[in-house]
Amino acid sequence: MSKTIRNAEDLKIISTEFNDRLKLYRHTINLCYGAGCLSSDSKSICQSLEKELEDKGLVQSVKINNTGCMGMCAEGPMMVVNPGMTLYCRLTEDKIREIVDSHIINGNIVEKYCYLDKKTKEYIPKMEDIEFYRKQYKIVLKNCGRIDFNSLEEYIANDGYSALEKVLSSMSREETIEEIAKSGLRGRGGGGFPTGLKWKLAMKTEASNKYVICNADEGDPGAFMDRSLIEGDPHSVIEGMMIAGYSIGANKGVVYVRAEYPLAIDRLDKAIHKARESGLLGENIFDSGFNFDIEVRIGAGAFVCGEETALMNSVEGRRGEPRQKPPYPSDEGLFKKPTIINNVETFGNIASIILKGAHWFSSIGTENSKGTKIFALAGDINNTGIIEVPMGISLGEIVYDIGGGIPGDKKFKVAQTGGPSGGCITGEYLNTPIDYDSLKELGAIMGSGGLVCMDEDTCMVDVARYFMEFVQDESCGKCVACRIGTKRMLEILERITLGQGSKKDIEDLKDLGQVIKDTALCGLGQTAPNPVLSTLDYFMDEYLDHIEEGYCTAGVCGELFLSPCENACPAGINVPGYLALVARGRIEDAYNLIRQENPFPAVCGDICTHPCEYKCRRAQIDEAIAISDIKKYIAEQVLNSDKPITTSVLPKNGKKVAVIGAGPSGLTCGYYLARLGYDIDVFEEQDVAGGVLAFGIPQYRLPKEILKKEIDSIRQAGVNIILNHKVGKDIEFQELKNNYHAVYIATGTQFSRKVGIDGEDLKGVYHGLDFLKDVNLGKDVAIGKRVAIIGGGSTAIDASRVALRMGAQEVHILYRRRIEDMPADKREVKDALDEGIQIHELVMPLEISGNSENSVEKIICSRIELEGFDSKGRRKPVKKENSDFDFQVDMVIPAVSQYSDFPFIRKDEVELTSYGSFVIDSKNNMTSMEGVFAGGDVVRGSDVVITAIADGKKSAVEIDKYLGGTGDLHKGDQIEIPDDFEEHEIFEHERFPMKVLSADKRKGNFDEVNKGYHRLNAIAEAMRCLRCDRRI
Amino acid sequence: MTVKLSEDKMYETLSQVISDYHANEDNLIQVLHMAQVIFGYIPMEVEKYISREMDIPYSRVSGVVSFYSFFSTQPKGQYMISVCLGTACYVRGGKKVLEKIKEMTGIEVGETSQDRRFSLQVMRCIGACGLAPAIMINDKVYKQLNPTKVEKILNSYMKGDAVNVENY
Repeated sequence: MSKTIRNAEDLKIISTEFNDRLKLYRHTINLCYGAGCLSSDSKSICQSLEKELEDKGLVQSVKINNTGCMGMCAEGPMMVVNPGMTLYCRLTEDKIREIVDSHIINGNIVEKYCYLDKKTKEYIPKMEDIEFYRKQYKIVLKNCGRIDFNSLEEYIANDGYSALEKVLSSMSREETIEEIAKSGLRGRGGGGFPTGLKWKLAMKTEASNKYVICNADEGDPGAFMDRSLIEGDPHSVIEGMMIAGYSIGANKGVVYVRAEYPLAIDRLDKAIHKARESGLLGENIFDSGFNFDIEVRIGAGAFVCGEETALMNSVEGRRGEPRQKPPYPSDEGLFKKPTIINNVETFGNIASIILKGAHWFSSIGTENSKGTKIFALAGDINNTGIIEVPMGISLGEIVYDIGGGIPGDKKFKVAQTGGPSGGCITGEYLNTPIDYDSLKELGAIMGSGGLVCMDEDTCMVDVARYFMEFVQDESCGKCVACRIGTKRMLEILERITLGQGSKKDIEDLKDLGQVIKDTALCGLGQTAPNPVLSTLDYFMDEYLDHIEEGYCTAGVCGELFLSPCENACPAGINVPGYLALVARGRIEDAYNLIRQENPFPAVCGDICTHPCEYKCRRAQIDEAIAISDIKKYIAEQVLNSDKPITTSVLPKNGKKVAVIGAGPSGLTCGYYLARLGYDIDVFEEQDVAGGVLAFGIPQYRLPKEILKKEIDSIRQAGVNIILNHKVGKDIEFQELKNNYHAVYIATGTQFSRKVGIDGEDLKGVYHGLDFLKDVNLGKDVAIGKRVAIIGGGSTAIDASRVALRMGAQEVHILYRRRIEDMPADKREVKDALDEGIQIHELVMPLEISGNSENSVEKIICSRIELEGFDSKGRRKPVKKENSDFDFQVDMVIPAVSQYSDFPFIRKDEVELTSYGSFVIDSKNNMTSMEGVFAGGDVVRGSDVVITAIADGKKSAVEIDKYLGGTGDLHKGDQIEIPDDFEEHEIFEHERFPMKVLSADKRKGNFDEVNKGYHRLNAIAEAMRCLRCDRRI
Repeated sequence: MTVKLSEDKMYETLSQVISDYHANEDNLIQVLHMAQVIFGYIPMEVEKYISREMDIPYSRVSGVVSFYSFFSTQPKGQYMISVCLGTACYVRGGKKVLEKIKEMTGIEVGETSQDRRFSLQVMRCIGACGLAPAIMINDKVYKQLNPTKVEKILNSYMKGDAVNVENY
């Protein structure tokens, strides 16, 4: 096309000719040539496609378009077959062959090569039906992935350059700027300055020469929007720049692209060349007398050049150091001439606004942020890629609906926007509509559009350190505040991540941050402290953990722990150590190593929720080590042998400590204190020791004899357990305080909380914990035929399986969220389903109603809809109108939560939370009552066994310190851990299986479900450990 | 494989580039980009040559070169060794691996060996945490290293026997 385009008629002719040619084809195939797909080799896919079409004689009837980024970069290489918008993902040569045969020749879509929805497990052939695309709204990216980026004709056939023609032929400069101003468009580079106003200021400055600069120095880590637009639709950027040039009276444009984007530079060069050839760039454009040309300038790897004044210095061939403002670029910019600098995406909006009008544009978005925003999704998110969404969409919709959620069942922690100048948005704000102002309020910024998701395994101190390192590295060095200030901040952050921080460091970070904000010369420096200040705002506890406890919750700061699993264990058990011992067949040593940190190895082997396994690095290769199951093997081997468990104890020190409650926390505390030489009396209300372990956990999960053996070993260490003694009734609390040097309260949460609906006192309603307790203690419990459990936690699952074993014919669980949201352990849920228990999700009970004899007859329920998000990324349940229905049952077991009560202390004597649990000093676990300590569920509310054990251990340390000791626990002889790790290559292998009783054989009785490992499997499984504890 | 130009030819090409850009000082960065393509890096002699030919003070040319990370005054080696010091690699002994590489190649981070075989850089996490510690030599990732393994791998490269290392 060498003919010069002179007017609207010429555009129309090109468009018509193009469309006529298109009609000759039966199919068009858009093959993604975005940077992501190219790196997964879409080029060779294109070649095989061409060859296949040639072989089948289809060249005349199928047109192949190489297009820009389609957005779902993780699914590439991909292509869309039209008509029909069928999207094929993860293409290979073989797939191409099959698609051509089946789809192109025979018209049958090959579904198995289409997009697989991870939630529904269904293939979705049509592009627009995929959730990733459904919530998007494309203005800027409307051509991206749909047209051939190399074809000027196709751009014109999609209304290209008609906005420019319209402006030049029928709008004055003032009218054009007014239209942009009215649309409400704000700068997409991050700052959000109103584009119309910027242009107006530059227009008003009189000068012989003016410049339009397009800022494509996209340097934020995690941002790749601008390159996608330039690579996918370069003409839209050119057209936007030209309209800007006309408006302000400039005839020279410069695109400043970073050198790291050769593909963008190449495609832009070609597009500019074609536009010149057709007379769209150059002199007397559209016969209007308007002259304009564009030059591409390539950056040279300096982040600071994204700052507008630094960028101008760089274009002039100088060091990219920022200039003092004022003068502003609109007065004195490039080569001292009035200049506007806009971001790539801003220019991408212009043509659409001119064609469709300011009114249309301003109808999209929020009050002060109009239109759409492109985001680059990166980090811990399933659908990484490029999206364009209307302003005002919530972060939750971006992360979960479009982004497909967080990989690997991990929890969302923060989204980081604005890169090194931005901040983080936490789970609390998943429902906040995203626009310029709301993000600013949260301490983050819109930024250019990088949106990096981070999951629970992210340490926020480390993130702050990372960004500070980045900024420090990229500081141009011109001003002291940025050059030296960021260096000092980095040093402090590094110190904290190494566990060498002090509390003053936090004050210093805040002070330095503020000073740098106030005094740095340019935008880079002024915003550099943002990631630190923002993490300090939201994650102060993590900073304090690092400084005061030497603890990194996320398991990132490697100097602070042995291995990720050990770090994740509340009791700090040396997991790689005992796995190594098992691998050597030293089972007894393994048991003793665990017992150094936890007196309940067998209990934990059976029922621990194993936070260690969620952090296991092996999961990055195949599957996490079955740590808990190996522990079960170790404990059973030792407990079932005849060899007694010996515990070394220090000589008596003459001090007495009373413990209230013989549950896991109380017994652990007593165990460690007894080993230090204290006299320990544990007072237990029931006639059996073990607390919730004895009466709350069903026998098929934790056999009574196993529990008894471990409690006996604690007794042997010198702990005196006094059963059938209720404090406040059989012995007064005051007496304990008087007769003992210290008291530890660990009475747990023993009382079932009511659901809070009518009918909970009817006959046949049995609250969860009471039910489990009565069954476990051997009381006579009447079971209904059709039983409903309300709740989704472990008590609910336990109650359902116990009810089944007690003879219920049908057991139903009613849960208000989805199964995957249940707090209960995944394995327990699966076991329950296997046994035939029916789980009804998204159901809310409204009322339990009874018959004439006051016995349960039915539950009146309502359906639930999920709306918005809670802070953990779970959808919020909302009652669905007019969806009430009856659920016929004769027994109801509500199991929603438990609470604690301790009638032996007057409520005004001690400080309590609003939930009725103890307030303790988090440093020493002491309540507001001198010498009285507390831990476990009575402090935390319902939690898991391992935290109760950890609390008991910590309290033992603190009680010892309180009574004049050093706080060093006596854990017995050191156990040597094998370090002769064999250097062999690691082969992918999933977990070795454990013997399990089949559902049929187990559901009618209380036999233990998990039968444990065979010796060889246990050793093989232990050998899968990567030994993250090793230091070479 | 690109054909290596003689030094005279290189300067001749550079001279052509400078005149294409009209020896205009605004185009200094463009010229430097081309110089780096021609020479592979920008040694001091080239900076001086550009300074003379474009009539720009040497201090300014040097100032621009040192400002931008894309320009290198050091030649890049045939093999770029990237040592991952992301958290997982760091705790699993990435530092020991780095020490071994420094010892064997005789270069520090950011440097290139005399024979231009090796350049050394440190990276933040190359995404192979499950197989830490890891390094990359050009685009090839080597996992689960220790000083002994590193020695074997580097020896193969030194012998020009990179093919044999593929099996690691």
